[in-house]
Order: sequence, then C-alpha cells, then structure tokens
Amino acid sequence: MDFFIQKNDFQEEENLKVKVYLFNFFFLAIIMILFFYLMFSYTQYDFNWSNIYEYKQKFISGFLTTIYISFFALILSFFIGLFFAYGQNSKIILLRFFSRFYVEVIRGTPLLVQILIFFYVFAANIGLDNRYIAGTLILAIFSGAYISEIIRAGIFSIQKEQYETSLSLGFTIFQTYRYIIFPQAYKRIIPPLTGQFASIIKDSSLLSIISVNEFTMNAQEVNAYTFSTLESYIPLAIGYLLLTYPISLYARHLEKKMKD
Amino acid sequence: MLKKVTLVALGLVLSATMSLQAKEQKVLNVGMELAYPPFEMSTKDGKPSGVSVDLAKAIGKSLGRKVVIKNIAWDGLIPSLKTKKIDMIISSMSITKQREKVISFSIPYAQADLAILTNPTSGVKSVEDLNQAGKVVAVKKGTTGNMYAIKYLKKAKILLFDKENTAVLEVIQKRADAFIYDQLTIYREWEKHKKTTVALLKPISKNHGYWGVAMRKNDKELKAKVDAFITQAKKDGTFDKLANKYLKNAKEKFTELNIPFFF
Repeated sequence: MDFFIQKNDFQEEENLKVKVYLFNFFFLAIIMILFFYLMFSYTQYDFNWSNIYEYKQKFISGFLTTIYISFFALILSFFIGLFFAYGQNSKIILLRFFSRFYVEVIRGTPLLVQILIFFYVFAANIGLDNRYIAGTLILAIFSGAYISEIIRAGIFSIQKEQYETSLSLGFTIFQTYRYIIFPQAYKRIIPPLTGQFASIIKDSSLLSIISVNEFTMNAQEVNAYTFSTLESYIPLAIGYLLLTYPISLYARHLEKKMKD
Repeated sequence: MLKKVTLVALGLVLSATMSLQAKEQKVLNVGMELAYPPFEMSTKDGKPSGVSVDLAKAIGKSLGRKVVIKNIAWDGLIPSLKTKKIDMIISSMSITKQREKVISFSIPYAQADLAILTNPTSGVKSVEDLNQAGKVVAVKKGTTGNMYAIKYLKKAKILLFDKENTAVLEVIQKRADAFIYDQLTIYREWEKHKKTTVALLKPISKNHGYWGVAMRKNDKELKAKVDAFITQAKKDGTFDKLANKYLKNAKEKFTELNIPFFF
C-alpha cells in the first residue's frame, strides 16, 4: 500500500522514497503508453513515417525559428510589460490612460487580427519588411499586455500597511519598492509569468498567417506535400512540449527555492 | 427491475446504432472549402452555393443519396476523406500525381491553368522572370501553384499563405513579386485591384491542369458511378448549365482573351 498512497498535506514538501517515486513514475508511463498505443492502433489511419522523415530538415529549421522568435519576444515582452505596469500607475495622466488603453485593446482582441493589422498596416507604413522581426515585435507587444497585468497584480497583492510602515520607518519610495514590495511580489509573479512564457511559444504558431516559416508552418507545409496529417503534427506536439516543459520545471524549481 | 432497465437500455443502444448505420448509407458527405467563388462559396445567409455545390447535389441525385456539404479548410480536406469524415471532395481540386498516391480521382470534369498576379513595379513579364534570386513568389499552401513553385521556381524565395487574400495583399504591398494561382481568381483579383496589380493570364505550364472529384482509394464502386455521371453530364449539357448560371461573365472574358474555359 505504501507504494500507492502517501499523505499530501497543505503546503508540505514532497519526500517520496526513490523506490516509490520510480515505481509510480514507470507505472504511469506504462499506462499512458498503453493508452496511446491502443488509441492510435485502432484508428482507421495507416501511419506512414518514411515520407515524413524525408522532410526532417523542415522540422528542424522550423523548430529553430520558433526558438529564436520566442526567445526574443520573451525578453522584449518582459520589458514592455514592466514599462506598462509602471505606466498604468504613472504620475503622467496621459501615459496612464495610454497604458490602460493598450492593455485593454491587446487583451480584448484576437492575436490573429493583431498580426494582420500590425504587419499589413503598421509595418507596411514604417517600411518594416522583414516578416521575422515584425512577427517577433507583434508577439512581444501582445504578450507584454498580459505580463504587464501579471506584474501589476503581483505588486498590488502586497498589503498597503507594509508600504505605509516602511515609509514611516524612513525608507524612501524607491527603497520601499526595492527592499519591501518587490521581493514579496516577485514570488507571486513567477508562476503566472512562466505560464505566459510558455504561451508565447505556442502563440508564435499564429505567425504562419504572414508566412513566417516557424515550427507549425513547416509542419503544415510537410502535411500539404505528403498528406500525412497525423505524422506531421505528432512531432509538432512533441517539439512544443520539449520547449515548454523545461520552462515549467524551472518555474517549480524557483518556487521551491523561494520557500526557503 | 434492473433486468428490465438493462434490456430497455440495450434496445435503445441497438436501435440507435441501427438507425445510425441506416443514415450513413443514405447521406453523402461532400467536403469542400467554401472560399473559392463562384465554385465554392456561401450565400449571404450562409448556405453553401456555387458550381461545386450544384455538382455535388447532382451527383447525390444520381446516386440516390442525400447530400450534406461539409465546409472544411483546404488543408483538412484530404485527411477528412482518409478518416471517413466525408465521402468525397468536390473543391476544384486539381488531379496531381502526389495526391493520387493517397486518394483516387474521378475522370476530369473541368480544366484550369495557373496564371500570375504581379504588380506594376516588379518588372515580371512571364513566369521565366520569376525563377531568379531575389524574386519573391507567394502561393497558397497545398495548391497546385504551391507545387509548381517548389518544383520550377527553385531560385526564387517562396512564401506560403493560408488564405489567398493575404497572398494578394503581399503582391499589392510589393512584398511579393507574384502570386501564382488559377486564372479565374487571378483575373478577379486584378479586377478588384486594377491600379496596384497586373494579371498575366497566359497559362504558365505546358500541361493543362484538370479538376476531379476525389474519393478514397478503396471506394471503387463509388468512383465508377461518379465517372459514369461525369461522362453523362458532359454530354447532356449539365456543365453548360452550371457555367451559364455562375460563370457567364467569366466565360465571355475567357473567350475574349482566347483562354480555354473550364468546361
């Protein structure tokens, strides 16, 4: 029984014995593999992996493009988010209004529409012809709105008393944020932020609408040439998992570290 | 009591499956992408209409089966056919060797060739001008234009799009030098954007493209029936009727330009 059941109290560290951990891990793995195997072996679909293998270069280059675009969009969106989180509470009323307008519009409209408008209207007007740079930019602008809200929510979740207390103890406003507010807000920001970063990676697939040869686009292209739909899309799912899973692992690791 | 309940439940399940099977034989599911007027389109109230829809209905009538039109994105058509979501594709699909590897086609029911939409500043006069480094060619993903471009325009940069209007937009904004698609659409797009685009309607490849009805490879019986229907329809003027109903203006233009017409 010890192999299957272990009490899991509120906010308690997991401490499974290696033996138990491995047993459960492999047990689940076997069940999952069996499940998928049976599911897929009973479809009326004959798999043909050989013609997909011919196009492996397409998958690899698409995968790399997705990594590049996501990486730069991720960094850029963090700064955009930071700026607008600040902007929403800025002294300058115009900036405050603009920040709120930006967040509402971006969060309230589909990314697909934003990509089309950005590329065929704005980018065309400023002569930005590189679709990869334009794609990265719009992805960062899109994600920045969400990140801005995440940061703002994290900062606002700290009680007002802490702010007032630290001011009365003689901290400057900057010091208050630096030593009191941010260290606590940071802990609350990390989990949703990593979730948002994983979303960027998946959202980058929509850039195929402006013919950016990223991972999804190339898989669709292979599908169009070979008509092997599932064979093109299964590697795609696995590829995205390879990118998003490490991020969530790292997030968990950070959460653990902050508890101490 | 429990026994009775199970019996009733069993009876219900059985009758449901029976009726499902009976239905399956009656209905003919035809897949098409309703984004290619006047062949596949929707009326203002959202009903499927166009040449292909009428053709599907006529085929259904000859088979004695009720036709259900399924609107499926171009990329999903062949997979849907393979997984039995639909029984046939009538979506202005060209018969190609590559497609014939996975599905079977009826005998051709129409003829269509590829043409070029370019812009006034690109300096493109013929398809030969496109096969050069630095030239950018837009195509719709998975179409014959796409296949042509990757085969014969190896030096050019090829951009793939899901929708033809984005591809046209690329040509208008001079991001792409040309869009390769069928003559009728190229002609219609040029009509919409006379100032910003140039249509080169001369067929770009020597061999004509033909459209066929796509079916599963093992549906040999169905294929035989559809082939018989098409042969008959060509004789008795069914296709002429369709052309006059939907393509009257285009037919006149094509004759004027000395381009072979679809039917």
